[in-house]
Amino acid sequence: MNEIFHSVELIEEKCNGCTRCMIKCPVEAIRLKNSKAVIYGDRCIDCGVCIKVCPYNAHVGKRDVLDVLDNFKTKIAIPSVTLYSQFGEYIEPGLINDAIKSLGFDEVFDITYACDIVTEITKNEIEKMPKPAISPFCPSIIRLIQVNYPELVDHIVKVLTPIEVAAILIREKYGENSDGIGIFYLSPCVSRVTKGKYPFLSSETHIDGVLAISDLFPQLLKYINKNKAAAPQSNSNMSSTGIAWAIPGGQSKAMNLEEYIAVYGVENVIKVLDEIEKGKLSNVDFVEAFACTEGCLGGILLADNPFNARRIINKYYDKLDKRCEINEMSEEYKSRFLSDMKNNKTYNPKLAEDFASAVKKMNFMNKLINSLPGTDCGQCGSPSCKAFAEDVVRGLSTVDECKFITLKGGEGNEGK
Amino acid sequence: MEKALINLHYEIIHGDFMKAGEASSNIKKALMQLGVDNAIIKRLCVACYEAEMNIVIHSYGGCIDVDIFEDRIEMNAKDKGPGIKDIELAMTEGYSTAPDVAREMGFGAGMGLPNIRKSSDEFEITSVVGEYTNVRIVIFID
Repeated sequence: MNEIFHSVELIEEKCNGCTRCMIKCPVEAIRLKNSKAVIYGDRCIDCGVCIKVCPYNAHVGKRDVLDVLDNFKTKIAIPSVTLYSQFGEYIEPGLINDAIKSLGFDEVFDITYACDIVTEITKNEIEKMPKPAISPFCPSIIRLIQVNYPELVDHIVKVLTPIEVAAILIREKYGENSDGIGIFYLSPCVSRVTKGKYPFLSSETHIDGVLAISDLFPQLLKYINKNKAAAPQSNSNMSSTGIAWAIPGGQSKAMNLEEYIAVYGVENVIKVLDEIEKGKLSNVDFVEAFACTEGCLGGILLADNPFNARRIINKYYDKLDKRCEINEMSEEYKSRFLSDMKNNKTYNPKLAEDFASAVKKMNFMNKLINSLPGTDCGQCGSPSCKAFAEDVVRGLSTVDECKFITLKGGEGNEGK
Repeated sequence: MEKALINLHYEIIHGDFMKAGEASSNIKKALMQLGVDNAIIKRLCVACYEAEMNIVIHSYGGCIDVDIFEDRIEMNAKDKGPGIKDIELAMTEGYSTAPDVAREMGFGAGMGLPNIRKSSDEFEITSVVGEYTNVRIVIFID
């Protein structure tokens, strides 16, 4: 079951068996077994909610540490645009790039350039797609669609993320000399770590590691405070359209779209996906959906709160006031940045492989639901009575784990 | 009469826009658990959702039953309500009798019944003015 790589991990010694993460998990991927949380890897979407809500810091997000740079001759950083929002005020982008270099990087790649390429490709792609097209940017949302909305996979724009596009451009620039080059993404979120290690739409990744912005933050801040007065040594050519990618709605803004939806928070995204599934929203061109509050600015590997970060991003948007002019791209050029969708691992929701056994299990499950108290107390180790009944028929729990069950004959009706 | 392998039953309350859509979401989950093909799930979801909305908007309340057989899925949407005077007219795309309150919420585009018919392999509608409307559809599983 755990064959899918995940960046959210549990430190068992720290888990004290409270039900918080299990109840809060938006996709019901957590159970309690022997008073310890267990994450079901086939359902986990790496949204990081469990990390946020755990009072004991038992859930952690995996990532690389700076030492990994030592394995490479030339070290190149691709900072997320959200990084520029973290210092409480507008800081010259060049100075922030200097600070990144001070950590041991030889080069800082301007990701807004890659964002603008992806914007142009997306603009083209969505015209050929079923409406509404869904942004492929948030890895947790892509995973959510793969797990719970497999029929909506066709709505995901088949373009690589700016991170991958940036990495491809870097490798091409170095050409034959690209041996010994290490490309690192400075990430606001744990989900990107998963995607960096184990891309789940396209079949390969071009980056060598993912570092947490929050891990680097103290050093960056120190450098910036020390060198604020001097003129930055690095130049920066960031575009406002690229910076806009940091906020929900920014991709649509960059594409000059009007009929778009920007939504964040897994529960809210689920509502929107439900509507798309029911055939509503077919008059909408594009949906930007993010797992975190305020999109990537709410990533758990950032330092500042998302609302203050948004204030700062707006400053960059106004000050930069420059669009990358990427209009002429040959089809061949563009095609390198399209996702092959070869790695579309979906979750298997079937109760049993054959229809007859699945029917049998479902009837038993519905009977069981009627025998359960319906209080969703979580004592059994499942997030709700319904989830418990499903766990029983899947063989993941046993009936006697519910202390309040009153076995009675039921008609086997689901619902009310 | 042939007994369904699984019956899913949902009460639908008039005017409850917040909960509308729950039945189709639950039905989708059940069909996924049974391993029904995604394309079929999508068709049933669309039909069920439109039927739910019809009951929420136009009737005094009703229920939806989804019966799963080995070779097909049947959906019966029954309500108590004003019924439909001219069924042929009601089946016309864009024709709507939805009240303003529903239209303001983005519903009532007159696509409900046409969409249900489009999603189904068999479609039947019966109605008595001042009493009820019943919609029955069949989607075959191949």
